[in-house]
Amino acid sequence: MTAIPGAGQVLPAGEGAAAGPGRGPRRGRPGGWSFDTVSFFVVFLGLPLALFLVFVIWPFVQAAFYALTDWSGFTTEFDVVGLANFTTLLQDPRFVNAVGNSVMFGLFIPLVTIAIALTFAILITVGGSGRGQVRGVRGSGFYRVVSLFPYVIPAIAVGIMWRLILDPSNGLVNGVLTGLGLDRFESFAWLGNVGTAMPVTMFVVVWGFVGFYMLLFIAAIKGVPSEIYEAARIDGAGRWRTSWSITLPLIRDNVQTAFIYLGIIALDLFVYVQALNPQGGPDNSTLVMSQQLFRSAFTEGKFGYASAMGVAMAIVTLVFAALVFTVNRLAGGRNERGRG
Amino acid sequence: MTSNFTTDQSNITPQPSRRSVLRAVMFTAAAVPLGLPLAACATGGGGGEEATSAAPGGEMDAKNPFGMAENTTIDAVIFDGGYGVDYVEFAGTVLAGLHAGSTAKVSPSTQIATELQPRFVGGNPPDLVDNSGAQSIGFNTILDQLEDLTDIIDAPNVEGTTIRDTLYEGVLAPGTYGDKFAALNYVLTVYGVWYSGSLFEKNGWTPPATWEEAKALGAEAKKAGKYLFLWGTEAATYYQTLAIESAIKEGGDEVRLALENLEPDCWSNDALQATFTIMKEIVDAGYFKPGGSGTQFTAAQAQWSNKQEALLYPSGSWIENEMKDQTAADFQMKGVPSFSVTASPAMPATALHSTAGEPFIVPSQAKSVAGGKELLRVMLSKESATNFSKTKLAPTIVKDIVPADGFGSTALVSQTDMLSAAGTDIFTFNFVNTYGMNQEQLPIWNSFLDGKKSVADLTKELQAITDRIANDDTIDKIEVS
Repeated sequence: MTAIPGAGQVLPAGEGAAAGPGRGPRRGRPGGWSFDTVSFFVVFLGLPLALFLVFVIWPFVQAAFYALTDWSGFTTEFDVVGLANFTTLLQDPRFVNAVGNSVMFGLFIPLVTIAIALTFAILITVGGSGRGQVRGVRGSGFYRVVSLFPYVIPAIAVGIMWRLILDPSNGLVNGVLTGLGLDRFESFAWLGNVGTAMPVTMFVVVWGFVGFYMLLFIAAIKGVPSEIYEAARIDGAGRWRTSWSITLPLIRDNVQTAFIYLGIIALDLFVYVQALNPQGGPDNSTLVMSQQLFRSAFTEGKFGYASAMGVAMAIVTLVFAALVFTVNRLAGGRNERGRG
Repeated sequence: MTSNFTTDQSNITPQPSRRSVLRAVMFTAAAVPLGLPLAACATGGGGGEEATSAAPGGEMDAKNPFGMAENTTIDAVIFDGGYGVDYVEFAGTVLAGLHAGSTAKVSPSTQIATELQPRFVGGNPPDLVDNSGAQSIGFNTILDQLEDLTDIIDAPNVEGTTIRDTLYEGVLAPGTYGDKFAALNYVLTVYGVWYSGSLFEKNGWTPPATWEEAKALGAEAKKAGKYLFLWGTEAATYYQTLAIESAIKEGGDEVRLALENLEPDCWSNDALQATFTIMKEIVDAGYFKPGGSGTQFTAAQAQWSNKQEALLYPSGSWIENEMKDQTAADFQMKGVPSFSVTASPAMPATALHSTAGEPFIVPSQAKSVAGGKELLRVMLSKESATNFSKTKLAPTIVKDIVPADGFGSTALVSQTDMLSAAGTDIFTFNFVNTYGMNQEQLPIWNSFLDGKKSVADLTKELQAITDRIANDDTIDKIEVS
């Protein structure tokens, strides 16, 4: 659970920077600590920092420590076993399989979600008529609202709903498919076949998140001055060219942030998989790290081992974030420090 | 609901995500005054409260054999599954009548392990827990924190008879770990294959006694546009239970002990292989309703009990109560013991898999250990046991409760009949529960029933789970004889 990027980060740069407290007039500085300054620091820095330390950092430290023990989770006694949990972890085929599945989710969910969200965002903001003012397709306001609906539904409800829709005998999907005359989908178990379980799970997650990321990208594109689009259009750039050469480079930091945030969601994914396939899917093909962690902790009574899994998950997530940064930089992105 | 063949998997679906939990923590945090001395560690609070087993005394006598203090509020956390929690509340009301001033506070839970884990660590567990369901606490993790309940069995019940004399034979075995009687399993569960009496009568079918007969019935079912069996994804291992039962009947104790003691090649035993093979034939013949591996298990069960798309369903006797609201009118649910493989099995055809389930435990660190025990004692009274059987249509471990008409339930009558027909040929096995194998076995069985695995694959993969546990020295093994 790496820190969730602050709202400022995903908004267009202009809005984020103006809100920062850093550049204000420096009245109090030479005079020392007035009540104003001190109370300001206490309320806006001290309090959040204390909460952060106590409820985020401290649990992290605890988990890292328990990862080195054989604590069962139900007693006050345990022995420190050093790195034994981690060596077991590497040889545990169940966990290795779960890591593999999580990595697949972590790769595909962000890619697909962002591709779709970006396409919609471009259509809604600048993809409209090639004449007159730069604008989105007709009815864009309606699409904008509608596409956010899935995000409003809680994840667990999304999972349960799709499970019913995908029910082999009474589900909507197979009902429609067999209604169209495709008889091989009679009682076809979308979530029960190795070939379809993971793609279908990915689809459900993507379905849930596209609207929200579309909205983020819309906000980002709105931050791009429309003169640029007009200039490009005068130069004869078509929609495709504008998207690829103007829009994408100008909002690439937002895309990067979205990528990392989605990656974190995809590497966790607990709620979705637990709702869609609580037992891990056919041949454990949708079993993810967080599910295996939960099982070890609560059904097998191995909290120390489960903590080690948690630490491993954190490492995988950090590696993922580092990869995204590296790829973005190699692909010619600006230094990420350049923007809020 | 014997834990593993979890019927009540209503609880498996919604878990709070770590994120939502954290978020909740953050909100709470806002309300916590700062500078509050924070408990050092998750394990820090342990032992804070003293074990009060001998606690502030009430007097001990036949009316209050454990010396429960006056005006005790008994804190009971009860698994809210197929049987609900109202039967414990009923016992609580009876208890309040016996001990003026004392009451029982019954809290339902479907997440026993997650909910009680902090309380066990913090040293303030409840007085009585029904440790059941998919999220129950593994017994090997908490065994030394539990009271030995033998004194309940030796105490007089509310009517004055010693409780031990009122129980069925062998019902204490499932809760006995080594020499400690740590869990009182309250409900008597009969495993079998269930069918609709009315449907069978209408079509002139007879419930099969052997697998060959079952296969022949499958052909009949197909003619009638129905399937022989169906399954749901979280309950695919009900067919494993059925297969093991058949194999034990076929090969006798030898099969059971090999499985229980995690012996090498225990799944390759001839009797088990014969069962797998004929099951595979039934799968390949298309007598299983397809799509089970993607169907939620209660939805699948409703296709049997309500839509009657399949004829038979293997399960424990909780099935009637579980599907009560989704059973076709005049279904007349009845059961038969699991099928034999050949005509000359080691155990008679009437041999039955039956065991006591719903393990009730009393943690030693509880505030009122005596209160927890007293509530259990009241539950074992004739009045409470009758109430349970009458409202849940299932037998408890207390005998001579169910009348001949089974309170109007054909399934309950059929259970009592199967029990008396079996006589002493009653067996059970626990290795799946003891070592928590069910979760890992489910995907394998789903694929097998889907027709995607051969008998050899099935055997190999089940054996791999057994071998992994057998070779893991960190897991305590329980020798079964």
